[in-house]
Amino acid sequence: MADLTLFSFNAGTTALHDLDVRVKTGLVCMLSMTLFFAGFFACLICFLALYPLIRSQGLTLLHLILRLKGFLLLLIIMAAARAVTVPGEPVFSILDVEITRQGLAQGTLVAARFFLVMVIGMLFAVTTRPADLKSAAQWFLAPVPFIPEKRVGLMISLFLRFFPLILAQAGQTADAVNARCGSFRKNPVRRIRSLTLPLLKKTVMAADHLSLAMTARCYSENRTDPAFNPGGKERIFLIAGAGLCLGMVLLSRESVRMIFW
Amino acid sequence: MPDPILEIDHLSHEFAGGNGIHDINFQVYAGEFILLAGPNGSGKTTLIRHLNALEHPSSGGIRLYGRPVTANLMLTRKTIGMVFQDADTQIVGDTVAEEVAFGLENLNTPRAQIREKVDQTLSRINLSHLKDRNPATLSGGEKRRLAIAGILVMDPEIIVLDEPFANLDYPSSRHLVETICRLNRDGQTIIVATHDVEEVITLASRLLILDDQGHLVRDGFPAELLGCLDRFGIREPCFSRMGYTAPPWQT
Ligand SMILES: Nc1ncnc2c1ncn2[C@@H]1O[C@H](COP(=O)(O)OP(=O)(O)O)[C@@H](O)[C@H]1O
Ligand SMILES: [Mg+2]
Repeated sequence: MADLTLFSFNAGTTALHDLDVRVKTGLVCMLSMTLFFAGFFACLICFLALYPLIRSQGLTLLHLILRLKGFLLLLIIMAAARAVTVPGEPVFSILDVEITRQGLAQGTLVAARFFLVMVIGMLFAVTTRPADLKSAAQWFLAPVPFIPEKRVGLMISLFLRFFPLILAQAGQTADAVNARCGSFRKNPVRRIRSLTLPLLKKTVMAADHLSLAMTARCYSENRTDPAFNPGGKERIFLIAGAGLCLGMVLLSRESVRMIFW
Repeated sequence: MPDPILEIDHLSHEFAGGNGIHDINFQVYAGEFILLAGPNGSGKTTLIRHLNALEHPSSGGIRLYGRPVTANLMLTRKTIGMVFQDADTQIVGDTVAEEVAFGLENLNTPRAQIREKVDQTLSRINLSHLKDRNPATLSGGEKRRLAIAGILVMDPEIIVLDEPFANLDYPSSRHLVETICRLNRDGQTIIVATHDVEEVITLASRLLILDDQGHLVRDGFPAELLGCLDRFGIREPCFSRMGYTAPPWQT
């Protein structure tokens, strides 16, 4: 149940952990949007700016590459597809397929942007409690009319609570099936059946127990409002984030112009 | 005798096929340590769920301070704290402190008061050092104590524990027994449901026995009922079989 993957919350006391979740959410949105226009140089600056934060989570570039390797493969394929489809000056050609300079540049750029968005998402996920995520959603939705923000918050928190439970159950069921040589079965329908039926049963039972336990502890929609615990560095982060975005936009005038004009 | 906190009055819960509990009667008084014993399937969990109105009885009812438990569900559930058998499916918080705060948040308690009470409760139950840990990473015994803390923080009159010793190793069981015992000495009313009475029988002030048909067949002092445990499918404690009157490790 407690396997700590790259994208799950990791308790800690770093500056990012202490940052108010609303500010953090805002910064993530701002940076991701800026990355949408970012040129190559802007991406590099962004990565350099993020690197101390990555290090503060005890991760290095090598960790990132190792853990995101499946995803990186996807990015390479994406970049390669660009490299061969975008017309332009050929750099070299393999088996009549021309690789163009423009294609290569665009492909790398798209891959770099995706990679950065991934890193930002990871930093957010690793340093943000699921409960805070729910609080932030509730806070951002509160001024929006016709959206019952407390109920949305409740739905988010229920989902966040049940999801790891289902994953844990899936793992246990798979182990139990494999222990009885279930994985040697050739028939895929049977294999799926032997996995999903017990899983479904267990999940429903676990959900039943969880909802009973929550009812027994007076679960209600009218709860104490979420607490936000600003760590005191919100202003610095906001200014630095805004500065970074501005700098990135200025460095990427080319692509901004291409998109808007 | 003072007024009972809880009165269980001709309570029956029939499942299809004749299982369930039938015509249960007993009262719970302040400060008692009640052991509810019975083999698997005797209806302990079913009975316990009725105590804070998580189930609807087929007939009969339960009164809390003289009023039906269903009259004010919030009050009932706050007054009777329930620690369920499966530790993993009753933990809802992302950290130990949040887990303990959950009940108070539901009662719409102000945030500052929540913080204070959570800290108090964690130190009362010796979990302060784990305050910021992810509950999923705790040991079985720690999870069980966390579940108790989550209930205790709401100041219940009665704490009900369902099979608290299941799946615990010996040191964790001992630690848990000490915790429960300390709470009871501080005046907390306790009900423990278990199929194995070994750990707690000498500490309990009263023993209720459910037979495998779901009937309440005995209600009395633990020491006087030791001899008839086997007859109802409950393992007689070791010390009693060996002819001692109290377990050697407690004297
Ligand atoms: N939802 C249900 N539907 C039908 N029968 C049930 C249900 N829950 C429990 N039972 C039956 O009621 C009896 C008592 O169960 P339970 O209260 O879980 O016993 P215990 O906790 O003492 O092991 C068992 O025979 C069980 O099979
Ligand atoms: Mg049970």
